[in-house]
Amino acid sequence: MAKYEALRPSGRRPLLVLGISDVVALEDEAAVKVEVKHVSAWGRWARDVAVPVDAQAVISALGEHFDIVWASEWGHNAHTAFSEALGLPAEPWPFLPVQFDKLAAIRAYARGLPWVWIDGDVVDLHPQAPEFGEGIVVRVDPGVGLSGLDVDALVDRVRGLPGAGGGA
Amino acid sequence: MDSGTAYGLRLGSPLHDLAQVGQGTGYGEVLRRYWQPVAKSEDATTRPKRLKVLGEELTLFRTRRGEVGLLHPRCIHRGASLYYGGVEDDGIRCCYHGWVFDTEGKCLEQPCEPELGLHRDRVRQPWYPTQEQYGLIWAYMGPPEKKPVLPRYDTFENLPEGEVLIVDDNGVGGGGPALLDFNWLQHWENVMDPFHVPILHARFSGNQFTPEMALIPEVSYEYTPNGVRSIQMRSLGDGRELRRVTEVMFPNLRVVASPKLASGQTNMIGWVVPEDDTSFRIFTIARDADPEFLKKLRSTHEGRPWADLDEADHQRLPGDYEAQKSQGDISLHSEDHLTTTDQGVAMVRRMMAKQVKAVAQGGDPVGVIFDDADVVVPVIGGNYFQGELVTEAQREAVDD
Repeated sequence: MAKYEALRPSGRRPLLVLGISDVVALEDEAAVKVEVKHVSAWGRWARDVAVPVDAQAVISALGEHFDIVWASEWGHNAHTAFSEALGLPAEPWPFLPVQFDKLAAIRAYARGLPWVWIDGDVVDLHPQAPEFGEGIVVRVDPGVGLSGLDVDALVDRVRGLPGAGGGA
Repeated sequence: MDSGTAYGLRLGSPLHDLAQVGQGTGYGEVLRRYWQPVAKSEDATTRPKRLKVLGEELTLFRTRRGEVGLLHPRCIHRGASLYYGGVEDDGIRCCYHGWVFDTEGKCLEQPCEPELGLHRDRVRQPWYPTQEQYGLIWAYMGPPEKKPVLPRYDTFENLPEGEVLIVDDNGVGGGGPALLDFNWLQHWENVMDPFHVPILHARFSGNQFTPEMALIPEVSYEYTPNGVRSIQMRSLGDGRELRRVTEVMFPNLRVVASPKLASGQTNMIGWVVPEDDTSFRIFTIARDADPEFLKKLRSTHEGRPWADLDEADHQRLPGDYEAQKSQGDISLHSEDHLTTTDQGVAMVRRMMAKQVKAVAQGGDPVGVIFDDADVVVPVIGGNYFQGELVTEAQREAVDD
């Protein structure tokens, strides 16, 4: 997605970069309680996806501490499709429309802001580790997604990153 | 000041892990875990035939006793090509020094050696196992210990009286030449892109199919145990509703019902078989009462076949070939701006990535069959007008 420029974050808080598949839409057999949600992109298409029942609460808690940005092949449909299922704010979060090997896009978008990236490992065709201190990669179990994520612990980890400045 | 100009443009790269087909590549190893159609049965004769499949040069022949052989062409003796060999009762004889190999590469004779080769049973011409089914030669090019059974498909079993099986390797569905000269994935993922139909095949090409197909559908997508499925709903304006179900089955099957909207379960399946990274063939099997069904199905441009178009026609009436070929020899996938219309394509790529990982980690990709009891694969794809669902499985599959 080289020729797309995402909306900029506030710059006042760390970034929380969210994948969708395996994260809020579980594709493997679910190991946590899920609800099947009928999500749609403006009626052009629809999918039934399994969303962890606590996903809305987890994302809401994350939103208290981070500027959230989607990074997925769902593109601008991410926020719209999951708006009701996840109780998202009316104003769509920015999105990085990237499907695989997302680190370069995240790094370019962050421009030095500390970040957390939560995703399944299918997206890592060529796994790369973040450079020391730039961000935190969280790989979720595809049967669990972000269900049960310890948001407080994640916030503590981000505060330890250089440049976090305790803003999380 | 101008912005967004092409000055300093830097282009991205293909998703090689998904697009490449050679040995040792990501998806190349996935493709090798399934039987692939490599030729029509009638093309295996006592005259050796050159094939290229998944980047590998091969020689196809049929012994005088009727067995099909698919061998690496470079004679293990000193490299002359078996393409120039002579086919005999039980094998093929190299033209250079006469070594004879059977259909499993076993050396039967080395005529210039003492006793026809004292050590001939210690050498082996590399070979691949083959089977014949539905009028095609199928090859298994993967690790021998992982060889699955050759699937059958319910739509080709128990043919109604009067119907026959038809095979074609001339690129049905490709909208261009028989050998399509670009990366296979550009064609295969197009199967899960129903939104291009009303644009490319109606607005541009001039209703290549039927007027109904010019309507922008409402689409639902789902993963299946062996691929991705789209269900396209079209209200036809006369009280009827069309549910068109299209599938990709892994690793490279296109389950696309007739775009001319014959009703019911599809009567045809295509296999998108790469010759190499930048060319592929489509092997299509169909059942129909008319042996010319597949020839008549070929899309036209204002009534003319693709081959009759000149350059100005190709520009004025572009079809699948023009769109997909122009994406590049191998498309620069990282440049794609995937958006609303591309959900199906994104799902295909994601499922491909999962299979690449599964195979790399020693697992099995989806849809490979090892148990003879599971050999018949149900096919759901088709055109279903209201009240025309045929089986319970089809009803479940297309039920909202």
